[in-house]
Amino acid sequence: MTGTARLGYAINQWKPNFDDFARTEQHVRALKVIAACGFTGVELRAGSGRWEPLGRPASIAANYGSAAAFTGLLRQLGIEAVCSWYFDPGEPIGEELSPGRSVLDSGDHKAISETVQPFAEFLAAAGGSRLVVRALPSAWQAGELSAAGVTTAAEGWNRVGAATADHGVRVSLHVDCLSAAADAATLGALLEATDPALVGLTIDTAELTLAGLDPVAVYRRHRDRVDHVHLKDTRYVDESGERLAPHAEAAMLQAGGARGVDRWFYECGTSGGLVDFPALLAELRADSYPGWLVFESEQTPNPASSVMLNGWYARQVLGC
Amino acid sequence: MDHWRVDTARGPMTQYGSRRLMDDFVKQISAVGFEGLDMFDFQIFGLTHMFGSIEKYQEYLRDHGISKIVNLFRGIMYDPRVADPHVRDTHDGIVESTRRMLGMWQGLQIENLIVMPASLYPDTAPVTDDKIKAAAECWNRVGEVSAEFGVRTTGHHEFFCAIRTEEDILKFYEWTDPRYVSFFCDTAQHCIAGVDPVELYLKLHDRVSGFHFKDTREADTTRAYANRPDAELMAPQTARWFYEMGTEGGLVDFPRLMGALREHEFTGWITVEHDKANIGGDYAESTALSMWYAKHVLAEVYS
Repeated sequence: MTGTARLGYAINQWKPNFDDFARTEQHVRALKVIAACGFTGVELRAGSGRWEPLGRPASIAANYGSAAAFTGLLRQLGIEAVCSWYFDPGEPIGEELSPGRSVLDSGDHKAISETVQPFAEFLAAAGGSRLVVRALPSAWQAGELSAAGVTTAAEGWNRVGAATADHGVRVSLHVDCLSAAADAATLGALLEATDPALVGLTIDTAELTLAGLDPVAVYRRHRDRVDHVHLKDTRYVDESGERLAPHAEAAMLQAGGARGVDRWFYECGTSGGLVDFPALLAELRADSYPGWLVFESEQTPNPASSVMLNGWYARQVLGC
Repeated sequence: MDHWRVDTARGPMTQYGSRRLMDDFVKQISAVGFEGLDMFDFQIFGLTHMFGSIEKYQEYLRDHGISKIVNLFRGIMYDPRVADPHVRDTHDGIVESTRRMLGMWQGLQIENLIVMPASLYPDTAPVTDDKIKAAAECWNRVGEVSAEFGVRTTGHHEFFCAIRTEEDILKFYEWTDPRYVSFFCDTAQHCIAGVDPVELYLKLHDRVSGFHFKDTREADTTRAYANRPDAELMAPQTARWFYEMGTEGGLVDFPRLMGALREHEFTGWITVEHDKANIGGDYAESTALSMWYAKHVLAEVYS
């Protein structure tokens, strides 16, 4: 559709709670659904602990015997690659006795770049090429970012990008709606300060829209840096700035905020959806975008149904 | 116990997801006649954000018909590098973190601090007397600290806990100080481990500080307790070990247990639990079915 772009699916939607989706037979069912709907890649999400069997390369090996056994299973089911892995350095990692780290703290950069090495190795062996990282912590946690703060974060991602580049894996900055990077000026400054050879940008359509940024406009501005795409829809824009308030993760994203929103994210093409997917795809086609288009549907009440709806939309509307 | 999950427009959520979900949860458990609540310690931070403080949450519970938070289950992820009862070098850290936690949450009016007294079986094996003694030393110290806060430390033996056989459980309570360490009897966990909870209660009744009443339909016949990395959710034998009281094919003899409680004139709290009811079931229904069983079957034996 866009040259060599391929379709992937983020598997995070199957795990709404920490103790869900722990059994391997559940993984197999999810992967079959993804394959049946025409997606050939899967994006994993980093996680810690024994109930996150797909959260780390070592956990996959512990549950599937080896990384090769897992990728072999994927291919047997019709999934060609683990195209990408999402990683938020701020999340605790029990295996490393880490309560979470920050790219805004230069003292954490070495540890972050060491932590991601096994992920990059795994991706390289599993046909993947993107480590999708949370660009900056939540805005309420980061506070007002100074130019020096942006520079520190950029140095951190450059270092992480250099660590993964040895494996042929690029670091791609993901901007979620709560992130301090969900601001046009901050995002522009952060990208400007990072090395284009090492660090790219993920366009996440719904997260940007919810934060008040037009994903098509963000693509046009940073098209040379975009190396990964997350496709999902939303019916909402945070016009009152709830995403910037303390504990927005719980108060807004989880509890629904002042409007009592039941669900922030939807399948592409949902009624009332705000994302102009055809316009974004036209831009990607014009650039012969060669990367993965990863569909997402976290906050779905029915993961299989969401994959099917997104599969139909990809084929029938977007012409993928 | 606060295990609870409901289907929502965004999929399954717990009562900690929003104030609206919490309202629904508390109203439902209160409606069928429950008077107290057990909860996990790691939920307190979220509740503090939701209600402003843990004291305000307790006021809210009282306003909705729940008189108190009875027991707090400590969800330590044991790790021999930092916190593991059979590793003596980590005891200072476990003791001090308990002191900090209870100091920070003095507004909690709980009776018991429930702990799994040893790490996972596969992370501890082989289980030796020295390891059980080390765990006993650890919890004696923790219990002495919790007593300063008016809270009893009590051992809850999951079927996958290293101290899981009747022989080892009895050794543990022989080697712990009755002033500081009590026994918390979880009926289903013992049944799964092949231990008769009634016999265990009869042997340890003077140490018992509470119960989790839940049922199971199968004992562990596959050494699931040794399954890595996890037995509770990931063992091949079954995806669901736990059911509500009165379930068809349940292995726990609750009437006999209630007879034993009557015999020893137990007057404390009994907590009902139906962990993992969402797997092929429904938490609201399990809650109501449990209370029906308590009122119509158990109360006939002892109330």
